[in-house]
Amino acid sequence: MTEPLVTFERVEKRFDDFVAVKGATLDIGAGEFVAIMGPSGCGKTTTLRMLAGLDAPTSGTIRIAGQVMNDVPAHERDTPMVWQSLALFPFLNARENVEFGLKMRGVGVSERRQRAMTWLDRMEIAEFAERNVETLSGGQRQRVALARALVTEPKLLLLDEPLSALDAHLVIRMQSVLSRLQRELGITFVYVTHSQSEAFAMADRVVIMSQGEIAQVGTPREVYRAPRSRFVAEFVGRNNILPGEVVASHQGMVSVQTPLGTFNVQGDAAPGTSASIVVAADMMQVGGGENRLTATVISEEFVGSMVTAFLEASDGTELKVQVQERALADLGLETGREVSLGWNTADGHLLVDETP
Amino acid sequence: MTTFLRIYLLALFGFVFLPIVVSLLFSFNSDRFPTLPMSGFTTIWYETIFADPDFWRAARNSLIVSSCTAVIATFLGFCTAYTDYRYTFRGKSLFLAIILLPPTIPLIIIALAMLAWFAPVGMSGQVWSIIAAHTVLTAPFAMAIIRLRLNQIDESLEAAAWNLGASEWRAMREVILPFTRPAILSSLFLTAAVSFDEFTVAWFVSGLNKTLPVHVLEIVQGTIDPQVNAIGTLVFGISITLVVISQLLIFFRLQREAA
Amino acid sequence: MRRLNAYALTFRLPIIIWQALFFIGPLIFVVAMSFFVVKNYRMVETFELTSWAKMISRDYVWSAYRYTLVMAGSAAAIASILAFPAAWFLAFRCSARARQVALLLLIVPFFTSYLVRTFSWYTILAEAGVLNGGFALFGLGPFKMLNTPFGTLVGYLTLVLPLVMILQTVTMANIDTRLVQAARNLGCTPARTIWSVILPAGKTGFVIAALFAFILSFGDFVAPFYLGGSNPPTMPILIIDTTKAGQQWPRAAVVAVMMMLTLFSIAFAAIVYSYRKRASR
Repeated sequence: MTEPLVTFERVEKRFDDFVAVKGATLDIGAGEFVAIMGPSGCGKTTTLRMLAGLDAPTSGTIRIAGQVMNDVPAHERDTPMVWQSLALFPFLNARENVEFGLKMRGVGVSERRQRAMTWLDRMEIAEFAERNVETLSGGQRQRVALARALVTEPKLLLLDEPLSALDAHLVIRMQSVLSRLQRELGITFVYVTHSQSEAFAMADRVVIMSQGEIAQVGTPREVYRAPRSRFVAEFVGRNNILPGEVVASHQGMVSVQTPLGTFNVQGDAAPGTSASIVVAADMMQVGGGENRLTATVISEEFVGSMVTAFLEASDGTELKVQVQERALADLGLETGREVSLGWNTADGHLLVDETP
Repeated sequence: MTTFLRIYLLALFGFVFLPIVVSLLFSFNSDRFPTLPMSGFTTIWYETIFADPDFWRAARNSLIVSSCTAVIATFLGFCTAYTDYRYTFRGKSLFLAIILLPPTIPLIIIALAMLAWFAPVGMSGQVWSIIAAHTVLTAPFAMAIIRLRLNQIDESLEAAAWNLGASEWRAMREVILPFTRPAILSSLFLTAAVSFDEFTVAWFVSGLNKTLPVHVLEIVQGTIDPQVNAIGTLVFGISITLVVISQLLIFFRLQREAA
Repeated sequence: MRRLNAYALTFRLPIIIWQALFFIGPLIFVVAMSFFVVKNYRMVETFELTSWAKMISRDYVWSAYRYTLVMAGSAAAIASILAFPAAWFLAFRCSARARQVALLLLIVPFFTSYLVRTFSWYTILAEAGVLNGGFALFGLGPFKMLNTPFGTLVGYLTLVLPLVMILQTVTMANIDTRLVQAARNLGCTPARTIWSVILPAGKTGFVIAALFAFILSFGDFVAPFYLGGSNPPTMPILIIDTTKAGQQWPRAAVVAVMMMLTLFSIAFAAIVYSYRKRASR
C-alpha cells in the first residue's frame, strides 16, 4: 500500500459520558473497498460520520490525503455519503437531487444538468430524471442516491448501511452494482454495515468493531479463518468454538484439551494457557477429519444450495456443519441422529484467550 | 339511543352555529330591530358600512396589523420550531415555555399589561403596539404548525445537504425552507386570521388607530345596529377564506406526497 | 455540534428578545404596577401597598371575585357535561370521516368574531328578540334572558363549548378501543364502561378541556358585559372600569394579579390532579 488516503490516529469520540469510539487507529488505502461492521451501537456509524465531518472527534487525528480534517466543516469536505434512509430531497425531482452537490459548488446550470444526466444514464435511470423521487421504487431511489453522491467525482465515498431498506433480491443486485462501480471508478469506498454477507461479498478489507473499539482488521478471509478474538469468532458466525486449555506445545503445534477431547491445532502457546480451537462450519467434515468428536443433529437451515446443520455434543456444546444440499442424505444428517464430526488439523485455528 | 344522540349532537351544533347564522341572515334584514318573522331583504347595512370612512380606516388598520403580525409571528414561530427540532440545550423547556405560554393568559390581562408597558414610551395608541401584542399571541400557533411539519422531515436531510457541500445557511435555504414551505404559508394565513379577529388587546392599546373588531365593539356599545351583522359577515368571510386557503395548502401538499 | 455559533443564535435570540420585550416585560410590569400609586392623576413608580389595601378591603371586589369564580366554574362544568355525550358519540359511534368533518366544523367558530356572535345572541335573547318571538307563537313568555347570569353563561358557552367538544372528542378517539371492548366483554354495562374505563383513561384530556374552558371564561369580559349586563361585574369588567374610566391602573393591576394567581393555582392543581394517578400506576 502506498500513502494511505485515510488515516485514523487514536481517534476517540465521546457523547457526554458515553464513549462511542475509543482509540481507533486505522489506515485506508486509495481505491480500497473497506467495510466497517459490528453490532448496533459499536461505533461504526460514528466513525463514518467523523469522516464526513458530521461529528467531530474528541481527541486523536483524522487525515484525508495527508490533510488533518478534525476542524474542517462537513460542507468543505469532499466526502459524499449514501445514507441509510437515502435522504433524498422530497421536494426535488431525481435530476435535481443529483445536481445538488454541483449546485452547491457553483457549477453552472447547463453543465450540472449535463453531468447529472450522464450519471443518471450510467445508473440506468435516465428515464426517471424528471420524476418526483417519492414516486420511484426502492431500487431506483437507491440509484438516485448513488448518482447524487458520485456526481462530484469524489476520491472517497461513504456508505451507511445503504442496502438495509431493500428487499433481499435487490440487495444482491445492488451489491454487484456497487462492486462494479467501485472497480470502474477506482475510488475508495468506506461501507458501514451490520450484515456480514454484504461486507464479505464486496469488501477488500473488513474492520470489525465492538463497543467502540476496533476488534480486528483484515481481508474477509483472514477475519473468517483466523479471528483474533472470541468476539470476532462469534460475530462472524458459522464458526465452531471449542474452549479448553493448552496441554502441550511442540514446534508450532499445540494440543488443546477440551471437554470434548484433546485436539491438535497449529499455533504457539505455553501449556496451561486457556485457549479455544475455532473451526469454520464449512471445514467440518461428517465422518472424516484428523480430529474427531460425536454430536447429535438438532436442526437444519437451508440457504440456497447450502445447508447448515446444527448439532449438539455430549456436553451441550453447539456445533455447526455446512454442506451441499445434495450431499445431505448421503451424509445421514437427519435430525436426532448421532454422527461423527471431524476436521483436519490444518483447518483449525488457535484462539488464545485474552487475559482480562 | 343512537338516534337520540344524533339529535343531541345536532342540537349542540345548532347552539354553536345559531349566532353565526342569525348574524348572517339579519345582515340582510331590512328591519332595524331583529324580530321574527324577518321583514324583508336589503343590502342597506352593507351600503352603510361601505360609505363609512371609519369602516375603511379600521379595515385598513386591520389589514396592516394582521399582515405584519402574520409575517413576524411566522418568523418567530419558525425560529422556535427549528431551534426545538435541531438543538438540545440547557433551559430549552424554559425557552419553549416563554413562547407557548401567552394563550393561557387571559387577553384582558395581556391587554392591561401592554397598555401599561407601552404608555410610558409613547407607543400606546400606535398600530405597532397592536402588532407587537398580536405577534406574542399568535406565534405559538405558528410554532405548532411548523413544528408539526418538521416532525415529518427525515433527520438526515439537512446533514445530507451539508455533506453535499451546503453550508448551514445554504442548507436552511435549500432544504429546511422548501420542506417547511407549506407549513409556513399555512401559518401566515392562520396567524393573520387570528389577529384579524382579536379585539381585547387591540381595544386597549389601539387608541385612535382602531382595527375592525374594535370598530364593531364601539358600535355595539352604542345601540342595536345591524351594521354589526354586516361587518361580522364580511369579517367571517375573510377569515374563513384565509383558513380554507391555509388548509388547502396543507391538503394539496399531502396529496402530492401521497401520490 | 455543541458550540454556539452565529447560525444557532440567529434562530434563538430573536424570540427571546421579542418575548422579553412584549410578553415577560409587560407581565412583570403589571405585577410591579400593582404597587404603584396615583397622585394628581399621574402614576408614580414606587413600592406601596396602597392599591392592594384599597382593593382587598372592598366588598365589591370580593363579590366580583366570587361571582367570576362561580360563573367560570359553572361554565367549565356545564360545557364539560354538555359536550360529553356528543364527544362520546363522535369518538365511538361515528366513522373517522364523519368525525373529521365534525371537528372541522367545530373549528369554524374560532374564525368568526366572538364579538359578532355575542351581539347575535343579544338580538336572539332580547325581550323582543328572536327566541321570545318564537315562544310567543306558543303563547309563552316573554322571558327575561338578557342581563342575567343565564345570558352570561350563554356567552361563555359560545366561547368554550366548541373547544371542549374538540378536546373531548380527540381525547376519546385516542383511547384504545380494545380497552372499551375488553370492558364490554367482561360484562361491563355501557354506563359502567364510561365510568370505569373511559373517564379514567381520558382523565388528562377531560381535565385539560375543563381547564381551558375555565381560563377562557374567567378572562372574558364580552359575555358578562353585553349579555350579563355587568350586573354583577366580573373581574375582567373591574379591570376595564378601573382602567378606562377611573385612570386607576394600579388598582386594575391588583385585579389582574389576583386573576393570575388564581389561574396559576387552579391550573397547577388541575395538572397535578390529572397526572398524579398516572405517575403512580
